[in-house]
Amino acid sequence: MNRLLLLLAAVCLPIQARAALDVVTTTEGLAALVHEVGGDRVKVQSLSRGIQDPHFVDANPTLAVKLRRADLLVDVGLDLEIGWLPPLVNQSRNPDIQPTGRRRFTAASVVNVLEVPRGPVDRSMGDLHPAGNPHFLSDPRRARKVAEGLARKLAELDGAGAATYQQRLADFERRLGADEARWRAELAPVKGRKLIPQHNSYTYFLDWAGLQAAGFLEPKPGVAPPPSHLAELVGVVKAQGVKAIVLENFYDRKSADVVAKHTGAKVVLLPGDVGGTPEARSYEGWVDQLVKLVAGAVR
Amino acid sequence: MTRLTLAALAAAALAMGGPALAQDAPAAGQAPAEQSPEEKKQLEEQIAKELGASPGSATAPAAPTAPTAPTAPGEAPAGAPQGQAGGNPFARLLLLPDISAIGDFAAAYDSRDTAVDSPRSGPTSPPHQLKPLFQELELGLQSVVDPYARADVFISFAPEGVNVEEAYLTTLALPFGLQAKAGKFLSPFGRLNQQHPHVWDFVDAPLALDRLVSADQLKGPGLDVAWLSPLPWFAEVHLFGQTTTPAFEDKERRTVGARLLQYFDLGDAAALGLGLSAARLEEPVSGAWRDLGGVDLHLKLRPPQGRSYLALQGELFVRRLTDPALPDQADWGAYAQAVWRDGPYFAYGARYDFAPAFQNGRSGIVQTDGTEHRVSALATWLPSEFQRVRLQAAWDRLPGGRDGLELLMHLEFAIGAHGAHPF
Repeated sequence: MNRLLLLLAAVCLPIQARAALDVVTTTEGLAALVHEVGGDRVKVQSLSRGIQDPHFVDANPTLAVKLRRADLLVDVGLDLEIGWLPPLVNQSRNPDIQPTGRRRFTAASVVNVLEVPRGPVDRSMGDLHPAGNPHFLSDPRRARKVAEGLARKLAELDGAGAATYQQRLADFERRLGADEARWRAELAPVKGRKLIPQHNSYTYFLDWAGLQAAGFLEPKPGVAPPPSHLAELVGVVKAQGVKAIVLENFYDRKSADVVAKHTGAKVVLLPGDVGGTPEARSYEGWVDQLVKLVAGAVR
Repeated sequence: MTRLTLAALAAAALAMGGPALAQDAPAAGQAPAEQSPEEKKQLEEQIAKELGASPGSATAPAAPTAPTAPTAPGEAPAGAPQGQAGGNPFARLLLLPDISAIGDFAAAYDSRDTAVDSPRSGPTSPPHQLKPLFQELELGLQSVVDPYARADVFISFAPEGVNVEEAYLTTLALPFGLQAKAGKFLSPFGRLNQQHPHVWDFVDAPLALDRLVSADQLKGPGLDVAWLSPLPWFAEVHLFGQTTTPAFEDKERRTVGARLLQYFDLGDAAALGLGLSAARLEEPVSGAWRDLGGVDLHLKLRPPQGRSYLALQGELFVRRLTDPALPDQADWGAYAQAVWRDGPYFAYGARYDFAPAFQNGRSGIVQTDGTEHRVSALATWLPSEFQRVRLQAAWDRLPGGRDGLELLMHLEFAIGAHGAHPF
């Protein structure tokens, strides 16, 4: 009997302690933005972790349980989560978080997307995202657009909190503005420098930071580099004076180390998202670490 | 064994990727490097040595990715690409469903006449012959139907003919945690039975699934209602009614069944699934029926920051025949397997399974006395997410100690937009 009561309490407690909105995001970066805008009015949890490759999350059915009661599902879009989110949404029994549902917010719908293929696309080009590059959150300008979209969406679903969301959004944008000025100052001395990322996941960050990719460790998105490609890159690094090879800390660093060994370039492991390192606890913390690590490496 | 298969895979990789390696197209956005061809060749060889076996496919980089539209940061332009749920966004602009095709081809080598001594659904060969086999081409058509339901259709083209493997509607908007599936579908009985063979880790089904449940997976037209409980972990109850065909028979039977599936998170890096299934099939003889029971376990250990994982899986099947004219007969069988996924490109597995022995004699496929045991080893090479090459070797022991060696080579490809696979 006691055990039954305990079980009942366990089931009921989350309902009692409920915030105005129960928000589920696909990534920790999106969760951080929801937290910036929503504060204590929303309870937010991410389906994936910042230390994970967001392309390859398991569609563990326990994640569908989180979606079942979600008042809002926030996803990146552009097919980033195509390998795992659709079955979870279908299992969730939550009709409003379906792709066109009113409790679904797809961040890609409010940003200007880069690398949208303008010609025939097939898988001989690697694991290409046919609707454009989905790794846009590392660009603070685009993160701001997403935060603005989130504030609108949260206000739409929770009218009573509209003023709070606007206030928190304004606070966040002001802080981000100050951060950006500081980050730009840190990046100014290295403007135009070249580096080599593993995957095209820092395209937006480099675009914002005024840096350039001289090539990628992957010969095509999602394709492992053969020795011939790495030999090619060694030539590129030497010819163009590339200082650093950057990759998310969930990748195998062997290929990067080999190129570094033949060129003297530095290998820098970066947090792939908020939560990717203990320091990257908030959105600002994450970008701050990206700026410090990248600027330090290409100096 | 592992080293042997690795060597074989490496040889295959070289054979497939060898000519392509000779190309040296620049990577996207690179200026030509100041290297002489000899220097580059030397460097390439040294890098290959330093990397050990080159990871994954040995294809060389080719042309840069498709030209992309120049864009500036800021507000999304009208008609900007929206995040979508699955498949090809451009196909959806034309209201096309996601279309995919999955091809399965095998070569089998058996040391004895498996089709007679040990009938099963998987690929077999005549004794001491290497036999190439076309197994199946599965055409998938998947889409939402309207705001209330989605439809999934899988058509199987196989040497036996064209068959609608599955075609069902799934509701998306029922209240109270309910979800209904109607049409023709794989029965929610056990774990492997509900998965298409191209999702299985091993090339063939465990003998127990073939012999005790159905030789071609238990499936048929009917209705399945699944309730997701409000408990904080995943707990789903299925009740289903279908017309199905049990093991090695062609007469259809009215079937009712139930399944309870639960999943628990064990910390960050482990998930445990536990399923219980039961079904009752009406026999053609009046007053007779067969009961099927199943327990399935699935434990996946995967540190979140990597692509490698260890998956342990096992199922136990029990079958009981009740016929007023005959004594009750109960049989059981099971399998247990472990699969180690070593990064994105390789996987290795081991499996043990046992089931009642069957024979294909003059009076058709019939059960004989005793139990058949088998151990299998598996090596998988995945050049990409859309291709898989597998080698499987099994040692099979029939009652009385008659042993057989079974070798399988298997090739699989997937084209088009195929729905994400189940966990």
